[in-house]
Amino acid sequence: MYFGWTFVLALLGSAVFAGFFGALLGVGGGIFIVPIMVLLFHLHMKIAVAASIVSVIATSNAGGSSYVDQRISNLRLAMFLEIATTLGALSGSVLALYLRQWIMLLLFALMLAYMAWAAFTTRNLDDRRIAQGDFARVQPDRLSSFLDLRGTYHDIAARQDVEYVANGTPIGTGISYFAGMASGLLGVGGGVIKVSAMNRYMNVPMKVAVGTSKLMIGVTAAVSSILFFLAGWIHFYVVAPVAVGTTAGATLGTMVMNRLHSAILKWIFTALMIYLAYSMFTRALAMHYHLHLPTLD
Amino acid sequence: MAPDTPPHSPQMPASGSPAHGPGHDPMQTEQNVYANVYHALIIGMLISTALFIWGLIQALRHPMTIPLTRKWIQQQYHWSIFWQGLRHAQPTPILLLATLILVLTPVLRVASSIYAFWVDKDYKYTVVTGIVFGVIVLTVILSRLGLH
Repeated sequence: MYFGWTFVLALLGSAVFAGFFGALLGVGGGIFIVPIMVLLFHLHMKIAVAASIVSVIATSNAGGSSYVDQRISNLRLAMFLEIATTLGALSGSVLALYLRQWIMLLLFALMLAYMAWAAFTTRNLDDRRIAQGDFARVQPDRLSSFLDLRGTYHDIAARQDVEYVANGTPIGTGISYFAGMASGLLGVGGGVIKVSAMNRYMNVPMKVAVGTSKLMIGVTAAVSSILFFLAGWIHFYVVAPVAVGTTAGATLGTMVMNRLHSAILKWIFTALMIYLAYSMFTRALAMHYHLHLPTLD
Repeated sequence: MAPDTPPHSPQMPASGSPAHGPGHDPMQTEQNVYANVYHALIIGMLISTALFIWGLIQALRHPMTIPLTRKWIQQQYHWSIFWQGLRHAQPTPILLLATLILVLTPVLRVASSIYAFWVDKDYKYTVVTGIVFGVIVLTVILSRLGLH
């Protein structure tokens, strides 16, 4: 790789783009930067995944604090689920060391397709549940009562304090393990999976789920990063522009997020995700079976 | 994790009311400890970003071809090469240092949270956080044992 201005500026620009639009969509930059590195820059999938997971730490450090300041994140819930996500990240990144490149591309394509689908099926039904006080009216399971997984936060939109009791810890823990695994294997934060697990199965309000997930992402990504670092997959010259770019992009994206119309954004990004999923899929087939499907390039 | 969120009350997280009340009770002191640790970590993140930018600038002053192989990456993992390069402000050790600081920042967060829960006498969560730290240690051990 010739490391000159063109390469650095192109990668930096792509990373700003990935971080910016990732933040607008609330999915983090990994989902866009990994395909960009593989498809546009022709980098090895494992170098791309390793660079992306390090940049996930950078963005999570920069962005997560506002939820903590507003006391929306639940520290205890984050700590508890982190056991599952870090174990998942460890197994995911060990798997990444041994899997062939084309299989990783295929898995990434599948994840993108799932995310595109999830963007449309996840609906925020919290308003009704908050108004009816449903979040507080649930019986905790044994583990959640032992670990005191409950809380209260002030919902500015609903103009009230919302009390909630977490339950469904076994299924929530299981899904968190897989979120960690996806993170370690594919170089993404895995926030979307954790948020939907907490909100759907653990009776945690959406805003608390998002804030809590943000707290967990840094530590989860650190586990995979340590493994990739010691295995020699973290290329510093790729990491530098990617980490700086995604952090800058994510910071910008968070600032303008609330001023944009989200419905149109959702359509645009779903289309982009489907496009990237298809491109990763065709690249995987070309790599292993020498089968060249038509591309949209 | 965020060490500036004090894990004392059983009703965590507290409501949106301002958490910093008047007075100088022990809780306040502990909260300050978390706040300090938290700020230290933000500074750590800023240092790594600054080092990344410095390393990039140093590298771009003399554009060159860099191998994209694991072998080349692992060749940089020698203390002598690292220190000597750092003394001469070479880009590779600067970028390596920036990466290391960034990767270790969340680990420091976990360690400081163990301390915070311990100070709070919240032993249940000292154990929970200790397990998370254990997974990090396990990762290092597994890597050192030779995962390739």
